Amino acid sequence: MDNSKGVVPVQIRAQRDGQFIFILDPSMPFQMILRYLEKKRKTSNNFFKSAKIILDLGSRPFRIDEVTAIRDMLRRQWGVKIVELRLGHSLDSFFEWASKQIDIPIKQIPVAEFSMEPVVIRHTCRSGTRIEAPVDCIILGDVNPGAEVIAGRDIIVFGVLRGIAHAGAMGNREAKIWALSIEPNQIRIADLVAMPPQDDKHQPKRYEVAQIRDDQIQVLTF
Amino acid sequence: MAGTTIVITSGKGGVGKTTSVANLGTALALRGRSVVLIDADIGLRNLDVVMGLENRIVYNLVDIIEGRCRLEQAMIRDRKLNTLFLIPAAQTREKDAVHPEQMKELCEKLEQNFDYILVDCPAGIERGFRNAVAGAQKAIIVTTPEVSAIRDADRVIGLLEAELMKDINLIINRLNHKMVKRGDMMSTEDICSLLAVPLIGVIPESEEVVISTNRGIPLVHDKRSDIANAFKRIASRLEGEEIPIPTEIPGDSGILSKFKKLIWSS
Ligand SMILES: Nc1ncnc2c1ncn2[C@@H]1O[C@H](COP(=O)(O)OP(=O)(O)OP(=O)(O)O)[C@@H](O)[C@H]1O
Ligand SMILES: [Mg+2]
Repeated sequence: MDNSKGVVPVQIRAQRDGQFIFILDPSMPFQMILRYLEKKRKTSNNFFKSAKIILDLGSRPFRIDEVTAIRDMLRRQWGVKIVELRLGHSLDSFFEWASKQIDIPIKQIPVAEFSMEPVVIRHTCRSGTRIEAPVDCIILGDVNPGAEVIAGRDIIVFGVLRGIAHAGAMGNREAKIWALSIEPNQIRIADLVAMPPQDDKHQPKRYEVAQIRDDQIQVLTF
Repeated sequence: MAGTTIVITSGKGGVGKTTSVANLGTALALRGRSVVLIDADIGLRNLDVVMGLENRIVYNLVDIIEGRCRLEQAMIRDRKLNTLFLIPAAQTREKDAVHPEQMKELCEKLEQNFDYILVDCPAGIERGFRNAVAGAQKAIIVTTPEVSAIRDADRVIGLLEAELMKDINLIINRLNHKMVKRGDMMSTEDICSLLAVPLIGVIPESEEVVISTNRGIPLVHDKRSDIANAFKRIASRLEGEEIPIPTEIPGDSGILSKFKKLIWSS
């Protein structure tokens, strides 16, 4: 590897608060990093003595042996302490190590799955489709019989709702179901279930909203 | 020549796929088109019976695919029309004797020499369905006005749309006008607004169908029959003629077309 062209195994940056960040190069073999730090110590004239170091692995995979080797070297030979370890984008290697430690597989749930963004479906949901949205769900089309839409909060159907809709599926009774026409066999909001009255004739209307009032689901027509 | 492969499918069984394939194929051949009917219902073949060709079967679809015969050897010519052919299903084999890619290859080969290839799809959405749709550019969904048949049709349309099939048309079979009037049956309009694919024809309920099935002569040959005329009109529409469908609404009635109307009229 050619490190004469500005590629250094460890980049050292001073912080305003007097701390230093040591950033490891992701592609450099670990032995080169150790050798580089060895050399650096000899040329730095105790400049780092009793400084606080942040060790930043960048996109380098987390390896416990490498981290402890650097920690021990810095402590013994430089007399400095690592006060913070920074991990880059992929935490896979860290989880691998951690799950070995506790002997239980670890699965990280990406933050995106808890996102507050609504799920938008831009077509009719036909029989056999099941849509789950953590928060709101917007459907630009119909929800046909045999399709299911389940949302943590509101369900908005820009079409006719004929399939199953469950708003506030985690128990939120404030949740509502909006649709141009609500004609399902059953709707659910939070823990409540409602069926349409037998003689319900579907008149033309602008839209309908189902919501909970006094412990009952009521459907308002506008 | 570049022909078109059309699969006739439904999801639910017994709604009239085989009847539609036999009559549509015959109607197209009567118009002078060259047509091959493929019975893809392996293990439950009956298109040959409806066409009255049962006793002429020597080779079948699986024989072609497994190379036991040449393509032409398994094609049975119709008794009356010399541009109409049938490739029968194997009665004694399982559905997995055929792979979707093999079906696709077969349809492509036939498209070079024929105007239409109509594939009679088995009921269900498993392997047999996958085989039948593999080579098709177009689909005709057959449903009856029953809630269960419509729901299965909806499911099948969803699966076809997921495969990016764009040309999907609907036949409503066994419509009983009296029952619709009494409000005991879903109307054509209700079915179309739910399924939101263009309607290409409505076939009334009639005992003529059962009689012709039993005789092994497609009803389309009977000039006086209303059903025959309904199938002939579907054949004309398939060929691009614009013939209005009596007592119903324009095919595309999904929510999007409603929006279009609003935007255009304001
Ligand atoms: N319009 C009609 N009026 C009266 N009977 C009909 C009509 N269409 C079909 N039938 C009858 O319904 C039965 C089933 O029809 P057909 O075999 O065409 O259905 P299919 O969808 O091919 O069934 P499968 O799923 O078993 O292949 C047959 O006995 C047929 O004669
Ligand atoms: Mg059949």
